[in-house]
Amino acid sequence: MTKLCSVQELDGLRSRLSAKKDPRRRVIAVCAVPGCGAYGSEKVPPALREELKKRGLEDKVEVIATGCQGFCEKGPITVIRPENILYTSVKPEDAAEIVEETVVHDRVVERLLYKDPVTGERAVHENDIPFYKHQTRNIFGRNGLIDPNSIEDYIAIGGYAALAKALTKMTPESVIAEVKKSGLRGRGGAGFSTGQKWEFARKAVSPDGAKYVIVNGDEGDPGAYMDRSLLEGNPHSVIEGLMIGAFAIGACEGYLYVRTEYPLAVKRLYIALAQAEEYGLLGKNILGTGFDFTIRIFRGAGAFVCGEETALLASLESRVGEPRGKPPFPAQSGLWGRPTNINNVKTWANIAPIIANGADWFSSIGTKSSKGTMIFSLVGKINNSGLVEVPMGITLRRMIFDIGGGIPRGKKFKAVQMGGPSGGCVPESLLDLPIDYDQLTAAGAMMGSGGMIVMDETTCMVDIAKYFQNFLKDESCGKCTPCRVGIAQMHAILTDITEGRGKEGDIEALEELSDVVKNASLCLLGGTAPNPVLTTIRYFRNEYEAHIRDKKCPAHVCKKLITYKIDAEKCKACGACLKACPARAVSGEKKVAHVIDPARCIRCGACFDACKFDAVELL
Amino acid sequence: MMADAETGGTQKPRRKKVGAVAVVGGGIGGMETAISLAESGYRVYLVEKNPSIGGTMSQLDKTFPTNDCAMCTLAPKLVGTARQKNIQLLTNAELVEVEGEPGSFRIKVLRKPRYVNVDKCTGCGTCMESCPVRATPQIPEPPKVAENLEPEKKARYDRVIGKYPDRKGALLPILQDFNAEYHYLPEDALRYVAEVLEIPLSKVFHVATFFTAFSLKPRGRHTIKVCLGTACHVRGSPKVLDAVARKLGIAPGETTPDGEVTLETVNCLGACALGPTVMVDEEYHPMTVGRIDALLKKYGWTNVDKAESAPAPADNEALATRGAPAR
Repeated sequence: MTKLCSVQELDGLRSRLSAKKDPRRRVIAVCAVPGCGAYGSEKVPPALREELKKRGLEDKVEVIATGCQGFCEKGPITVIRPENILYTSVKPEDAAEIVEETVVHDRVVERLLYKDPVTGERAVHENDIPFYKHQTRNIFGRNGLIDPNSIEDYIAIGGYAALAKALTKMTPESVIAEVKKSGLRGRGGAGFSTGQKWEFARKAVSPDGAKYVIVNGDEGDPGAYMDRSLLEGNPHSVIEGLMIGAFAIGACEGYLYVRTEYPLAVKRLYIALAQAEEYGLLGKNILGTGFDFTIRIFRGAGAFVCGEETALLASLESRVGEPRGKPPFPAQSGLWGRPTNINNVKTWANIAPIIANGADWFSSIGTKSSKGTMIFSLVGKINNSGLVEVPMGITLRRMIFDIGGGIPRGKKFKAVQMGGPSGGCVPESLLDLPIDYDQLTAAGAMMGSGGMIVMDETTCMVDIAKYFQNFLKDESCGKCTPCRVGIAQMHAILTDITEGRGKEGDIEALEELSDVVKNASLCLLGGTAPNPVLTTIRYFRNEYEAHIRDKKCPAHVCKKLITYKIDAEKCKACGACLKACPARAVSGEKKVAHVIDPARCIRCGACFDACKFDAVELL
Repeated sequence: MMADAETGGTQKPRRKKVGAVAVVGGGIGGMETAISLAESGYRVYLVEKNPSIGGTMSQLDKTFPTNDCAMCTLAPKLVGTARQKNIQLLTNAELVEVEGEPGSFRIKVLRKPRYVNVDKCTGCGTCMESCPVRATPQIPEPPKVAENLEPEKKARYDRVIGKYPDRKGALLPILQDFNAEYHYLPEDALRYVAEVLEIPLSKVFHVATFFTAFSLKPRGRHTIKVCLGTACHVRGSPKVLDAVARKLGIAPGETTPDGEVTLETVNCLGACALGPTVMVDEEYHPMTVGRIDALLKKYGWTNVDKAESAPAPADNEALATRGAPAR
C-alpha cells in the first residue's frame, strides 16, 4: 500500500481497482454480521469459497462477506450478481448446491428463493421482492456491494471521491452552503438543519484554534440498530463524511463515539482507520492538499443519556455522563471547551453522497421540509423485519404493509412505536400519515433515530407506557429533579394500573406529571420522556380505562390481571402443559381434561405456549 | 415549619388568638417566610439551630434550574432578615416543645450557650485571631494504595494505565480496560487509579457506578444477557427473562454460587429482528421460552436446573402416575 499524495493518485488507484472488477464477473455477496451470525452466517462465505476451490472457480467468482443487507428476517441474505438473484436464510450446507446450480449451470435454486407468505409465489431477483421493491437505498444499499474490511472495495465504488472533490474543488464555505442547500436535517432525531449547525461551528472562535467533529454512535434507542449496521457494514462512508465535515468546519481532530454494546463496530472502525491512514487519507497533508486530520475511537460505557450531546461530551472527557444546560451550545464550547460539532452516524453517512452528487440530487427526494431518505428499523410484530431505507414522505401504511408485509399470524395491527423512548405510539387511524419530521411531531411521535416497532392486538399499550418509563427511570442520570422523581412517579402509577391497583384520577395525574417533567427537565431525555405515556393516553385511553375500572388487560399482557384456564372440551389430556409448567400448577390424568390451579399459577404462559390444541385460554 | 396565629380551626377557640408567628429553620425558605410575615405585620420568632442563618444555600455555587449564583439570591434575604424589626432571631437555638393549638400556642426554645454577649459583639473577629486554642482538625493522611499493592498486581494495573500517557480524559478508557480484563472493577484498582491520575476517589467511584458497563461486584466466568429492548419486549422478552432467572435460580444482576454465570439485562443489543435476543458472552441467540433449556444445556448450565425441580409437591397425585416431568 502506498500513500496517496494527490487526487490524481487516488483516481488512478480507483480506476485500477475497478478495472479488476468486471461488472459481468460473478460475485456472491453474503451478509455476515452478528445479527445474522445467530443463524451461522459467518460460516457461509468460507463454505462457498471452499466449494468454489473444489471446482477450481476461486479466481472466477468472488465471495464477499458484506455488512447487513437489511432483510434480517430472512437472513443471512445471499445475492448473486450480476443477475441479482437473492437467496434467503442460506446455511453453510447450501453452499454446494448454490455453486453447482447457480454458478456452474446458471440455474436458480428454487427452494432458497423468497416466498411470498400470502400468494406463495417465489421471487428470483432482489428487486422483485416487495421488501426491497419499495425502498430507495441510497445510503444503505452500498452495504451489499463491499467487504467492510476492505478500503479498496469502498474506493472502487467511488469512495473518497467526494472528499477529494471537497478538498480540491470547493471551499469550506461552499461545502457548508451545499449541505445547507440540500436540506439535510439531523438524523439523530431532533432534525436540526445540518448545514446550519456546521455554520455555527465554523464561525465560532476557538481559543487555540482547535475544533472537533464527533460521530454520535451511541445508538441507545431500543429497537433501532441502523447506526450499528452502517458502522459495521460501511465504516468508510461515515469516516469520509466526518472528514468532509471537519474540512468545512476547520477541525483537525475527530472522534467516533460508539456504544460499548457494539464490539464488532469498534473492531471494524479500527481496521478502517488503519487502512485510511496507510493510504494517507488520514494524517498530515491529506492528498497533498495541506488538510490535516486524525480520528480517534471512543467506546461508550453503557448510558442511554450519553446520546445527548452534552452528556456525550462529558463522558468523552471521562466525566460522568450528565447533560448540562444549553447555551453555550457545543458549537461554541464543546469538547475541552472548544467549538465542537456532533452529528449522528446516519447524518455523516449522507454527507459524501450529497457532495458527490450535489444538493439538488439530494433535495429532489423527500417532502417539502424533510429531504432525502431515512433508514428505519422495522421490527416487532411484523413479517419482514429488518432495516429499510425509504424516501421521506412515504406513508406508514406502505412501510408496514407493503415493505413490512403486514402482521404475522393474521393478527390485527394496533400501533407503531416511533422514535424510541422519546417518541410515541401512532395508531391505525394515522397510518396514512406521510413520514416527515414535522408531521410526526404533530402526531405526538418523533422521527427519533428511526426505530419503528410494530405492535399488534396482543400488545398492551399501558404495559408499553410502563416499559418506557421503567427504561427511562433507570437511564435518567438523576441530575435534575423533575426527570429523576417525575419519571419514577409516573412509573409507580403505571405499575399500579397494570397490577390492578389503578384508581380514578390516575390518568389525570399522569397527564399533570407529564406536563411538569416535559417543561422543567434540564435536557431532552426528560423533555421527551412523557411522550410514550401521553400518546398512549391520547390514542388508547380505553385501554387505560379497562385496566383501571374493569381491572382487565384487554391484550392479556399484564400478569396480575389475567388468568390461564384450560378449556375442558378442547383439552386432549396430552400432558404437554403439565410438563411445561414450572410451578406444578397443572394437574390431570390420562384421558381427563387438565386443570390449572390459579393459586399456584405464576402466569408464565408456558402452558399456553406448549398447548397444541389451543385449549389453554387467557381470560 | 410555620404556625400561623391567624388560621384557627373551625372549633371554638379556647384562648384568644395572638398575632405572633414562630418560623423554625433559618434557611432560604425560613427567611423568605419570616420576611413576608413580618412585612404584613406579624411578630416573627425565627428559630435556627446553627449559630447563624443562611442554611445550605450559602454553601451552593449555583441553583437549579437557572444556574443563578446562590449567594446573589441569598445575601439580600440575610440582610433583610437581620434588619426587619418585626423579626426576632433566635440563633443557636432549638425548638423543644410546642403546646396549644393552631392560632394559640406556646413554644419552648432551648438556647445553646454562646459564651459571648450577642448584644455587644460586632463580629470583628479579633477574639478568634487571638485565641491560643485552635480547633484545627488533624486528619491522618490515608495510606498510599501503591505501597500496599502486591508487585504483580501493581504491574498489571500499571500496564493498563500506561496505555494512556495523556492523562486528560483517560479515566473512562482505563476503567473500561480494567472491566474487560477482570469482568468487574476491583476496589484497589479504583483506589490506585485515583492515586495515579490524581483524581479524587469520589470522582472515580462516581464514574464507576454511573455507567452500566461497570460492576463493582465480581461477575461470573460467563455472562448471559437478556435483551429488554422494545422490539424484544413486544415479542415476549420479559417471559424469557423470567424463565432464565427461574432456571438458573438467580435474579438479574446476580451470579450463580459457583461463579459460573452472571445474569444481566441489557436495554438493546441491536439485534432487533431476531427478538427476543439473548447474548451469551459474545454470541447472539434468538430465543423463546421453549428454547432456553437447550441453550443452557449447550453451555453445560443444567446443574442449576436440578435444584429447581427437586422439591416436588407431594399433593399432586398426577405426578406420581406420570413420573417427574421431563425437563
